[in-house]
Parts: sequence; structure tokens; C-alpha cells
Amino acid sequence: MKKKLTFIILLFLIFSDFLETFVNFCFKKSAQNADTLEISSFSGFIIFIKAVFLSPYLWVALLTVFLIFIIWSTILSKIDLSVAVPIASFSYILVPIASIIFLHEKIGLLRWAGIFFILMGVIFVSLSTKEEGAE
Amino acid sequence: MHPKLFFILFLIMLTSICDTINQLFLKSAINSIEVPSFSLKKIFRFIIRLIFVPRIWLGFCFTVISLFIWLFVLSKADLNFAFSADSMHYIFIALASRFILKERLNSKRWLGTFFIISGIILVSLS
Repeated sequence: MKKKLTFIILLFLIFSDFLETFVNFCFKKSAQNADTLEISSFSGFIIFIKAVFLSPYLWVALLTVFLIFIIWSTILSKIDLSVAVPIASFSYILVPIASIIFLHEKIGLLRWAGIFFILMGVIFVSLSTKEEGAE
Repeated sequence: MHPKLFFILFLIMLTSICDTINQLFLKSAINSIEVPSFSLKKIFRFIIRLIFVPRIWLGFCFTVISLFIWLFVLSKADLNFAFSADSMHYIFIALASRFILKERLNSKRWLGTFFIISGIILVSLS
């Protein structure tokens, strides 16, 4: 049996949500570096990848991915996946909010509705893990 | 819908499929060795052994491919759209678990998958 969700684990989970959002923000920033490139051939793709990898944002993102991996491995040794994933899916809300604030993207009502559905779906999918374990 | 949107959705689908393949390799690699109890030393030894399982590296190749496609997608699409649509990997993982790993999925999981599909359609329509 795994331990219950403690306050510290919850803090770590929320922290990793913010890190996840930060990672995607950095990925987007590094890709923006090269968004004027038209890619019609494989060599064009290589040029694109080169441009992206020259961006410091990408390296910050990859380091953060590694950090998230460590935090998650630790979290999952303490609590069940079915508890961790619904809390982690908080990032489906955080990323759009960060997109509005930092990237000046616009999000309509229909898209928020879609995001809400996805969030519901992720929670349902992960809650069903628990039942399987109990059966 | 715009043809460009279909192309972006197709690319997001490719990254999701690559992620799913990576997860399958990871799962089968982890299944092939003994799972440690939760002491730091044992987990460390577990990771060292995991590194020498070839399937881990096959999975890692797919992660790299997925990252490249993902970066390309982000250069063309809004982050909030791409991130939401990327949730389709839940669908592929559900399908792969059912048909490749032969795991049993209950009704709640199918319902969740259905919600995610509806959400992606709504996000794409806007």
C-alpha cells in the first residue's frame, strides 16, 4: 500500500505542474526562433532543428524536463498514479493561462470548453486506474 | 476546417504516437527487470540496470523524434492549441494498452477517452 497524499507531495505535484508549463513555454519560445523558416525538404528540417537547438530556451526546457522526471519518479514512489495524474492535469489549465499572459495568444469560449472536456477526460482515465487495482 | 490545421493535427498525432511507442518500450523494459522496493539505493541500482536494457534506447529514439516534430508544431501553431491537442496521447495509450498489452479497460476509461476526443474536436473547431 502506498501512503496517502500529504501536503508536501501535493506541493511537489503543483510545483511540477508549473515546471511543465514553463517547459512548454520554453519550447514555444525556442520554436518561435525559427517560425519564419519554410520547411519543404529534409535539409530544411535539419536547418530548422539547428536553429531551435541554438536557442538557450530549448536547453533550459530540456534541463527542466529532466528535473520533472526526477520529481515524478519520487512522487510516484509515494502515491498512486491515479491520484497524481488528476492533480498533474492542472497543467491543461495552466498552459493556456500562460499562453495568454506571456505569449499573447487568444483563447475563445469554445476552446475553453474543449480544454474543460479534455481535463474531465484525463481525470476519468486516471481515476479508473484505481478501480483496476482494487478489483 | 483549414487544410493547414489538418496538417498540424496530423503532426501532433505523430508525436503522440511516438510518445505512445516510447511508453510501450518503457513499460516492457521495466517489466523485464525486477521492480525495487523504495529505498534510494535500490532505486539507483534499478535505474542503472534499466539503462542497459536495449528497449530503453529504442524508446529514447522515439522520444527524440517526437521532440523534433513537437518543436516544429510549436513553430506553426499556438501553444494552447498544441498542448490541448497533444492530450490525444491518452487515446493512443488506451488503444495500445487494450490491443497490444491486452490490458482490460473499464467503462470509466472509455468514457474519459471519449471526453478527451470531444475536447480535442472543440479545441480544433475554435
